[in-house]
Amino acid sequence: MSSIRPGSPAAYWLALPATLWMMAAVVVPVGMIVWVSFWGGRAFSPDSPLSLDNYQRFFANRTYLALVLETLRHTATMMLICGVLGYCIAYFLVVKVRSPGWRTVLFLAFVIPFWTSALIRAIAWVPFLGVNGVINQALLATGLAEKPVEVFLYSRTGISMAQVSLYTLMASGPVVYMLAQIPPALLEAAMTLKAEPVTVFRRVIFPLTLPGVVIGQVLVFLNVMADFATVQTIGGNKIALLPNLVINFYEGAQIRAAAVVAVLLMLCMLAGVAAALRVVDVRRLGAT
Amino acid sequence: MDGTAYAPGRARAARRPLLDHRARSRLTAWVLGTLTVGFLLYQWLPILTLSLLSFSGPTGGTTFPMNGVSLHWYRELWDASIMNDFKPPLGRSFVLAIACAVTTCLLSVASAQAMRGRFRGQGLFFYLILLGIMAPGLLVGFGFALVCRILGIETAWNTTAFLVHVSWTLPFGFLTMLAIFNRFDPKLEEAALTLGASRWTAFRRITLPIVLPGVIGSLLFGFSLSYDEFARSMFTTGADITLPLAVMAQLDRQLTPELFAIGAATTVTSLLAILACTFALWGLRRAQRR
Amino acid sequence: MDRLPQLDLEIRSLRKRYGGFTAVDGVSLQVGKGQFVCLLGPSGCGKTTTLRCVAGLEEPDGGDILIGGREVTRDPPWRRDIAMMFQDFALFPHMTVARQVGFGLEMLRKPRAEIAARVAEVLAAFEITALADRKPASLSGGQRQRVALARAMITEPRILLLDEPIGALDYSLRETVMIELKQLQRRVGISFIWVTHDQNEAFSLGDHVVVMNHARIEQQGAPEDILHRPRTPFVAGFVQGNNSFHGRIAGAEGGMLRIAGEAGSFLVPGASRAPGSAASFSVRAERIGPAAAAHANRLAVRCVTVEYFGSIRRYILERAGGALLKLDQFGAEPAWLRQGEAAEIGWAAEDCVLHAVPEEAAPASSAAPAREVVPA
Repeated sequence: MSSIRPGSPAAYWLALPATLWMMAAVVVPVGMIVWVSFWGGRAFSPDSPLSLDNYQRFFANRTYLALVLETLRHTATMMLICGVLGYCIAYFLVVKVRSPGWRTVLFLAFVIPFWTSALIRAIAWVPFLGVNGVINQALLATGLAEKPVEVFLYSRTGISMAQVSLYTLMASGPVVYMLAQIPPALLEAAMTLKAEPVTVFRRVIFPLTLPGVVIGQVLVFLNVMADFATVQTIGGNKIALLPNLVINFYEGAQIRAAAVVAVLLMLCMLAGVAAALRVVDVRRLGAT
Repeated sequence: MDGTAYAPGRARAARRPLLDHRARSRLTAWVLGTLTVGFLLYQWLPILTLSLLSFSGPTGGTTFPMNGVSLHWYRELWDASIMNDFKPPLGRSFVLAIACAVTTCLLSVASAQAMRGRFRGQGLFFYLILLGIMAPGLLVGFGFALVCRILGIETAWNTTAFLVHVSWTLPFGFLTMLAIFNRFDPKLEEAALTLGASRWTAFRRITLPIVLPGVIGSLLFGFSLSYDEFARSMFTTGADITLPLAVMAQLDRQLTPELFAIGAATTVTSLLAILACTFALWGLRRAQRR
Repeated sequence: MDRLPQLDLEIRSLRKRYGGFTAVDGVSLQVGKGQFVCLLGPSGCGKTTTLRCVAGLEEPDGGDILIGGREVTRDPPWRRDIAMMFQDFALFPHMTVARQVGFGLEMLRKPRAEIAARVAEVLAAFEITALADRKPASLSGGQRQRVALARAMITEPRILLLDEPIGALDYSLRETVMIELKQLQRRVGISFIWVTHDQNEAFSLGDHVVVMNHARIEQQGAPEDILHRPRTPFVAGFVQGNNSFHGRIAGAEGGMLRIAGEAGSFLVPGASRAPGSAASFSVRAERIGPAAAAHANRLAVRCVTVEYFGSIRRYILERAGGALLKLDQFGAEPAWLRQGEAAEIGWAAEDCVLHAVPEEAAPASSAAPAREVVPA
């Protein structure tokens, strides 16, 4: 008994608005992309015959294929960096910081930038990365470099640097949550069973936080895969990854090509999420 | 086992490492702590630099030196030319964010309450809403633009953009409400029902005040996520653009300290908003405990 | 000094503070080979902290801990010859029962085949072979308890530390588990150190019971010793079935002391003490009866209520001044008093136990009200 009866029709009525909303704003549009990607001919019209022409045209171009691989490689790099860094930070915050006051301060220090606009944060990197940027000024001032280094702005390095600062917390958050769930008695039990700290980490802590790691990786993966804004802000028009290709085609009125790229992006993401769900299968967790 | 032989202790003693376990633990803490603080700096430095540079003099550029300290760029922002007048986009973004916050709040309370009703197909319903988080803004925005084009719908910030924004903010509010309802003890409602309250009264008088932190959380999510949204807006806003679009457009034209001024201003605003909400929550909890 | 290797555990004036709170204050304890020791006390008395210091999970601020004659005060848990059973069993949620039980042997780097064989053996001994491939989440409370015990025992530690090991079990299961654990301990001959706040557990299991309060040991000894000869008013009050009285020494009479308090004047056996000094003593509820000629001590009471437990019948009595007393009678005998009736009770001087340490803070002349009116 509660304010809503199990199985009552009220539940359907309550769920209906959100269902319609999500169908209209997410499901139908995504379906539309898939449909449009199969349109043959040249006209933008629902009467177009269905064909694989758009895909054939895309896969015939080696530059685009290279771009797919490049995007995947970039995303994998980001996942690795954000994952390791995020885990270290989560471990420090939960395990090593004992005082609740400090923990709150650190927590806030992490969360506040996270709540501010990603666009602004990406823009904030621009004065840092330029040829006359802060990093170069620091390098010149300390004598670490003779002349300005040009690898930062409008480069992959610069994009990676900004994305690490944007997305590490996404890898960290779920791990913080999982770490905080572990009862201290489990670690103590392992220690009294003669496990040294490294072993306790390897055999108890890490397996128990694995779902958090995977969820964090999925978040980083999805966000980096679809992040065209940071690439555009920092890379200018010199660097493009798969998501930027969607924009470029769209703005160039090549709607069907844009749809093809969007579908590919979608497939990559689905594959990634499916693979991740396989790993977090709770029943398989014990088989360490 | 005789009195003294303790094999593992001895075996370990033979290859005891250089540092004892306390020193190693402290070393780990230092290494991880340095990493954490380093990352914090890494995250904050650009924002702080941006804020600092927004106060640079009229001849200042987008990097150091600042060429003096002034409010020049904020003044520039205030009496802007038609080309880069940020005030109308700011107003639109604000109204849109408020509308999204309210809608998100209502829809997520209703959806979470529906989940408590255990209806058939609720698993599907859950994933449908979660899709809003998983589906990237680029795809949703692009797809929605296609739909609009086929159906001949004119895109505008207060119609299509609103619809799409809520699909992004709703899942966050929904998850917040689910988490709060998870910890909510339904026995409290049962108690109200046995005292003669109707289901609606029980919900309004007992449930709602207790889950209020979640309600405020969903409002906050709704506002902040919509206010900052860029990818979805890009495809669905039409001619009258919102603030992030205006910022990006200006960035495409020319990077000036004016953009830094906007960045600093919005960062401070959201900081204040978080603080206000935190204090409101804190005060609310205290008021409820009394 | 020849006896040292014979001790499984020796604790010398252990101290542990948390900020301004003293958790353990000068605790000393010796545990001989294969002893069953119970640390008993109210929550927050320092018994668990003491146990955790022995395990190496807390670092003491002072004192020494020797396990099997070896100094281990500064050693980490994984270098101590102990195993521990935790309150909620602390089973690893991600490991199967077999994996879980074999964990300790894995940590000792035993060969795989040996581990498998030992695990099978131990699972069989604890009758949990059928659970080998299950995860803790799917086990019942009793099954978890067995798994936790098997996991702790498989490495054959010198000492098994148990922190309220049956507190998480259903009440109906506890009795059985207690008997099993006692038999197990006798059979394998390793020392058990069992922390509990439940005196039934402590007195029925322990060879040696240590009563703790406010970070110190109040009294330690055989269960009979503690039950019948409480050294302090705290022990007398904490242990079931005692009636405590407080007063001052009024004088000596025929090799006994006379103690006068608010409740009256009583004759108590004991060596002479300075007249006027504070003193307290206790009498067990079953040693009190209807006033008789042999009774040197008497008291007028009124019966508040009668509780019947089968083997005994307990009268809750109120004396002048309002304090409550307990009187036990064999359950088979006919009831002697009914609710509301007044009577005179009495007991022999020899049945009084003078407390070695009178409670400083106690009001000089008032019988302590019965601490626990209803037995747990």
